[in-house]
Amino acid sequence: MADYQAVHVFHRTLPSFSPSVPVGLLPYLAFLLLAATFVLAFYFSTLPTDKVPIREVAVASLASILAGFGVVAMFCTVGVYV
Amino acid sequence: MVLRWRCSPLLLLSLLLQSFVSADHSFENTAVVRTVEVAGSLVQVTTTFAVKALEGDASEYTIALGEREHERTSWLEAKIKGQAAILPLFEGGYDPEIGVHFYTVALPHAMKINETANLVVETVETHATYPWPEQASQKDPQSLKYETDLFVVSPYKTLVERIKFRTPTPNIHSYTNPPGLDDFTVEIPVTKSGATITYGPFNNIPITSAKEFLDAKQEHVAVHYAYDSPLVEVMKLKRSAEISHWGANLNIEDTFHLRNAGPALKGHFSRLEHQSTMFYGRPPPHVLPSLTVQLPAGIHSPYYYDLIGNVSTSHLRTSPSQGKNGRSQPSLLELRPRYPLMGGWNYTFTLGWDSPLADYSSYEKATGKYIVGIPLMTMIPGAVVDEAEINIILPEAATDVDYYPPFVPTESGITTHVTYLDTVGRPAIVLRYGRLTHKHAGVIYVTYKVPVTAHLKKPLAVATAFMGLFALGFLAKRLDISIQKK
Repeated sequence: MADYQAVHVFHRTLPSFSPSVPVGLLPYLAFLLLAATFVLAFYFSTLPTDKVPIREVAVASLASILAGFGVVAMFCTVGVYV
Repeated sequence: MVLRWRCSPLLLLSLLLQSFVSADHSFENTAVVRTVEVAGSLVQVTTTFAVKALEGDASEYTIALGEREHERTSWLEAKIKGQAAILPLFEGGYDPEIGVHFYTVALPHAMKINETANLVVETVETHATYPWPEQASQKDPQSLKYETDLFVVSPYKTLVERIKFRTPTPNIHSYTNPPGLDDFTVEIPVTKSGATITYGPFNNIPITSAKEFLDAKQEHVAVHYAYDSPLVEVMKLKRSAEISHWGANLNIEDTFHLRNAGPALKGHFSRLEHQSTMFYGRPPPHVLPSLTVQLPAGIHSPYYYDLIGNVSTSHLRTSPSQGKNGRSQPSLLELRPRYPLMGGWNYTFTLGWDSPLADYSSYEKATGKYIVGIPLMTMIPGAVVDEAEINIILPEAATDVDYYPPFVPTESGITTHVTYLDTVGRPAIVLRYGRLTHKHAGVIYVTYKVPVTAHLKKPLAVATAFMGLFALGFLAKRLDISIQKK
């Protein structure tokens, strides 16, 4: 009981939750990141095949990371708050 | 009974012995007034005890509930009249011979000898009324019956006692006029004035939590009255609150199993009859055509669907959010079920909405702890919730999870819930309650920590999937699938 009251008071006095990325920005971020992913993926498909595929791996990794954040932002934009 | 977190099991044994030994002699009820407000599914009983301490240093007062009374009671609270502070309540034991349950109230200060105080005990009874007649056709009115034991069960002597029954309208069909009350009163024992029936005043009542009194002198009374609103009962409520840090959103989804607990429909349902009553004026009292529900402020994207699909007959009026600590007006949702609920009919639907997480959650930077306050349930006015299950789904990889419900749950635990873009699953707190009323509208606090790396789990999971696709592309480029050698 004392615990409940303590948590109640604590909750009231602490600052509100704020996300690391502002929610209003998410749709624009989603669009930009996914557009960049699309461009990079297309570029990846045009790369020549080398013996040591450094360029291909670099482009693929960058595209994947951008895609990761882009998809999460896209999910939040359409209403599936992941 | 769903009580607040005040029952201290460690004190239980010591109090048990104390209460049985000293209960009979340390107090005297100089006056007891009980007001029973009978309504639909809920009955509110307010008992005011004017107590006088017969012994010095008396700090615990025992209240008793009879067998039937205890079975029906789902809320019990004691206060000193005029003061807002709720007094701590402890379970004081059960006497199986007479079927009486005892509860001990800790008074704010120990009372000196011959000191007086006014103690107000409020209880809410559920499923105490039943429709009588049990069947009604579409055009018939609705009447309910409430049966109870007359005298207040108390382990102390009472000098004067009055019991009042208040009905919502003055339209009372009948009430019991019990014979054999000459021991306690010489005047007419029952009087009716408007919507109030008064039994008493009764004088010099002995200790009522005793076998001799309960077997011989306790009277059973019943009140039969008209009731003009539909009786709504929520048989099962499943609430799911999902917290998202990436979207800064709290999604709450309620699944209701609604039932019209009024008189069962006699004969068939005539759509024509129903439409004409809706067109001309108020529908009969036992028909439920629509519900108005109060939802929190600042919500958006509500959805309302049932087994068949989306239900479009609803109207939401949102009210702006005033933030976590602000006093805001509730949003109003008017729902019309797919079909009007006649007596005895059921309807199951799902209602959900999104709200900004900043209105419910707070963050302590020093320890990295998040505290979120989730409302226990959506109130349907006048309804009883027979079974409630509340799931609070925390973000993935949340650690140090701790929860503080306002009332003692019947079951609680932490499980794992898997949803979109999850790798290991999210911790979900499950709380189960029974027989909730409007008095049980509280907030469940949950504290947890999520390390920054855990937030990155989702994008990394998606990135890995994409990398897999790129790897497939990588291999495809190196495969020679031409039919003729180049």
